[in-house]
Amino acid sequence: MLGFVARRLGFAVVSVAAVVLITFLLVHAEPGAPMLGSPERTRASPETVARQRALFGLDRPLPEQLLRYAANLARGELGESFVLHRPVADVLAEAVPNTLLLGGTALVVSLLLGLVIGAAQAARHHSRTDTALGVLTLVLYSVPVFWLGLVLLLVFGERLHWLPVSGMTSAAIHDTLSPLGRALDVARHLVLPAASLALVQAAAFARFQRSALVDSLGAAHIRSARAKGLPERVVLWRHALRGALAPTITLAGLSVPYFLAGSVLVESIFGWPGLGRVTYDAIFARDYNVITAAALVAGVLVAIGNLLADVAVAIADPRVRLDR
Amino acid sequence: MSPWRVAARRFARNRPAVRGAAVVALMALAALAAPLVTADPLAQPDPVRLQDRPPSSTHLLGTDPFSRDVLSRTLHGARVSLVVGVGAALLAVTLGAGVGLVAGLAGRRTDQVLMRGVDVAMALPRILLLLAVLAVWENAPAAAVVVLIAATGWFQTSRIVRAAVLGLREADFVVAARALGAAAPGIVRRHLLPHVAAPVIVSASLDVGNIILLEAGLSYLGLGVRPPTPTWGNMIMDGKDVLLTAPWVALAPGLALVVTVVAFNLAADGLRDALDPRMAV
Amino acid sequence: MVIATTGDADVLLPPVTSLETGINVSDLLFCRLAELRLGLNTVDDSGFRPVLARSWDHPDSLTIVFHLDPRARWQDGAPVTAADVAFTFRTYRDSAVNSPLAPFLAPIESVTAGDSLTVAFRFRRWYPEQLYDATYHMRILPRHLLDTIPAARLASSAFARAPVGDGPYRFARWRAGAELTVTADTAWFLGRPGIGRLIWRVSPELASAVSQLLAGEADAMEVIPARGQLERVQQSRDVRLVPYPSPFYAGVVFNLRRPPFTDREVRRALTMAVDRRAVVGSVFGPFADVAVGAVSPMQAVWSDSIRQLPYDTAAAARLLDARGWRRGADGQRTRGGTALRFDLLVPTSSQSRQAAAVILQDQLRRLGVDVRIQPVEFTVMEGRTAAGDFDAAFVSRTTDPSPASLLQWWSPGAAANIGGYADPTFQSLTAAALRARTRAGAAPLWRRALDRLNDDAAAVFLFSPRNQAAVSTRIAGVTIRPDAWLATVTGWRVGEPRPASDRGAAGP
Repeated sequence: MLGFVARRLGFAVVSVAAVVLITFLLVHAEPGAPMLGSPERTRASPETVARQRALFGLDRPLPEQLLRYAANLARGELGESFVLHRPVADVLAEAVPNTLLLGGTALVVSLLLGLVIGAAQAARHHSRTDTALGVLTLVLYSVPVFWLGLVLLLVFGERLHWLPVSGMTSAAIHDTLSPLGRALDVARHLVLPAASLALVQAAAFARFQRSALVDSLGAAHIRSARAKGLPERVVLWRHALRGALAPTITLAGLSVPYFLAGSVLVESIFGWPGLGRVTYDAIFARDYNVITAAALVAGVLVAIGNLLADVAVAIADPRVRLDR
Repeated sequence: MSPWRVAARRFARNRPAVRGAAVVALMALAALAAPLVTADPLAQPDPVRLQDRPPSSTHLLGTDPFSRDVLSRTLHGARVSLVVGVGAALLAVTLGAGVGLVAGLAGRRTDQVLMRGVDVAMALPRILLLLAVLAVWENAPAAAVVVLIAATGWFQTSRIVRAAVLGLREADFVVAARALGAAAPGIVRRHLLPHVAAPVIVSASLDVGNIILLEAGLSYLGLGVRPPTPTWGNMIMDGKDVLLTAPWVALAPGLALVVTVVAFNLAADGLRDALDPRMAV
Repeated sequence: MVIATTGDADVLLPPVTSLETGINVSDLLFCRLAELRLGLNTVDDSGFRPVLARSWDHPDSLTIVFHLDPRARWQDGAPVTAADVAFTFRTYRDSAVNSPLAPFLAPIESVTAGDSLTVAFRFRRWYPEQLYDATYHMRILPRHLLDTIPAARLASSAFARAPVGDGPYRFARWRAGAELTVTADTAWFLGRPGIGRLIWRVSPELASAVSQLLAGEADAMEVIPARGQLERVQQSRDVRLVPYPSPFYAGVVFNLRRPPFTDREVRRALTMAVDRRAVVGSVFGPFADVAVGAVSPMQAVWSDSIRQLPYDTAAAARLLDARGWRRGADGQRTRGGTALRFDLLVPTSSQSRQAAAVILQDQLRRLGVDVRIQPVEFTVMEGRTAAGDFDAAFVSRTTDPSPASLLQWWSPGAAANIGGYADPTFQSLTAAALRARTRAGAAPLWRRALDRLNDDAAAVFLFSPRNQAAVSTRIAGVTIRPDAWLATVTGWRVGEPRPASDRGAAGP
């Protein structure tokens, strides 16, 4: 088992390195220098731009830039943001926890919701409830996450005024609140963006859980548990769910790329100051160091997700560990 | 009766799946017929007075901030979504199937190398790569979007195909065919492909919906097929700033997206149930 | 007062700050020697009011001597001295700092400190806007806090993210990407600011920023760029729109080095075929003006009497015919086998320019000219126009109050003169205008230069958006100086909410 994990970790490292390399090459091959001002107000003359490029070492040949970047990376140096004039590590240190909060909450909510819906469907297999819930999950699964975000914003933020429309905190009053108050304030701002992300993925999980649970409900040991006369609920929750645990972890791990992609869209709609927004802004401002570092973080997160997924599969199915 | 006809029968009995397929066909028809039945989606007949008009008898779904007819643009947008969705899915499974076949049939060394490569590739954050490439590429044509999406999404299929091939290699009929002296290409064509086809078809059809949503997301960010060509994603982008004053601009393409993806998913579920009844629940 | 903005600040150090919000904030943290009054008169001494400098005199035609106000202090208590001013000048001009404002300080030969409250600016030659150049571009930096930091590291220093200034507001807190807070310096030497706390709140989506404004979560926004959003604000009773003259103009610049733009008559024909009023009307409705030339409504030399080419499609067609561009059977004009067509670069960052470009394309198509619109990212457009690799580009310019900013973009040899415009008459007119001794003397010369630019049809000058700031009715005493909307914020007050019909005063 340990050898399996070690091998998988090895791949993860190679993957992340490949991500960084590919992103670096892509980004530096782009036309357009790092942006020196907002589109409508730029005052920089071409000489200033040229000098900026030289100051940042961008006029050096590409292989030299790559080597320098790799050497810095090995030292733990992520470079400096051209647009924000601060260490990339600082920018990410502020943004990544916010995305983890948003993504993490959405993941947990979607797992729970998916489980509940899937279980409800499996327990009433082929009934009217099953069909109705099936339709619901199918529709939710087919909705574009950014459109859902806009609709939620429109309905709950604008029309009903129940929830705030933007940001992570209420600017004017946040500091005057108690720690509990502050947590609640963030939570209020978290609801809409997390809901946008979670609803779609919950539907995906629910679809999976339904079939997984129906499968394991039909399995032999369940039948024998039933035969022993145990109440249906016990049968369901204790035995069937246990069998569905490992695949759930796998699904959760493999859903990381989805949450990353969704965060780019949702964070810009709701003004959530996280990694997705930072990445999006950096791509358009040609902030090379930020883009590469964001790819690194994204690669690490995806690798961790894949690793968890693989480990879960290996636990469930020992044959995989031998890894033919 | 051939297994294909059995599967077709099973599909036909699955009502939701049939409905899904019907909607897909209808969408395709509408997309094809769009230039014939609707106005020019790029025309701005009266930019001064016709901006953001609500649905009326002359503009059934209203007009957008550029005074263009929303209905026409929605139908034309279907062309992009369908072409990109189906095209990228087909290309992706072709790539994946190809790699999977090679990995499954070739020697151990090749298999290892290929599958390691797939493992590494699967860790790449797809959205980041697509964003980076498309942000650079000034006027990426639809074909480029198709290729890029396909190139970043074939990995799972290759694993599925490889697993299927490996499973079949040792199957009796293959061993028998080999013993009888049949050549490898013949074995592939006659025995392996039909068995591998099923998971491949299922994988492709399940992919289409996701790819349509992915392309819509890229267009929404301004990076897919560029304006003024209408795509459902960039229509939503146009409509988001007037969401409160002219909601139909973003609602129409959004609903179109949901309906289309639901239809594809229904049909895909039906295909999966029909081709692999063991997986039917 | 909470200000809704769509972009975060970058750094808060005046020589280096480039993003809109960063400039707005650092303008309130650091002071100039003297400020322009609302009238934006950049030539006469009376157009300026004292800030860090209590008074100034002109001992000779090449020198200005400033006498600093002894009451001015940095927020750590140290006094603002002449050494600070000299240090600031050196910093702005230092190539390691690479300030985009450095070229504007080129006419100043040296800045020398006399005693601690006297500093002399020496210019290379005489011209009427010396005071403007001496005061407008630089905001004074604290030498005692910055001189130990190497110039190249200034932008990324801790100071740049938590500055100590001498302005009416002090830096309080910055949560990156979310909000930035400054608090009033109640003991500021020129009087206590009316509003105690200013918070910039970042919402990247324009619609969300406006929503916050309408919901009362924000109190002000610098400008509402989209028509749909303007209409939303107009309907609100708690927010009022305050119009002010815009410092922008936008237009399609022709690359004069490339055919067909090498031919002046062709350029004139193209310009005459564009119905600018229709373009502006449809894209902006009532919220923008047709640009009269390479000048913005904010600038004093703006006048609707500036000579412009008329909208006359018949004359345009005749001109093209006369130059040999004949219509073919498909309506497309050709000459000797070459079609009359060009590529127009339009930045994807501007929806309004994209919309206008489409209408322009349609109008020119009716003339028989094929325009291919190329939407490109802003940075890409910058790169290509800087390299001269374009046919035509739809650019927007932000002007300074001084008419001399015209030269940045239209003077031969200027790096930002992307079209390569070089006309001796224009040059001599602008040179004479620069030398004129009074504003009244300079203005006609500038206007004739603008006439000339229009006659030569170096660009199709299309629009200047009518800037409207949105301010909550509970803020009173609102005045807006067009070149920097918060320049007079110290006079604003939080009062009782008043009905939207009560409008604050705007600039002249």
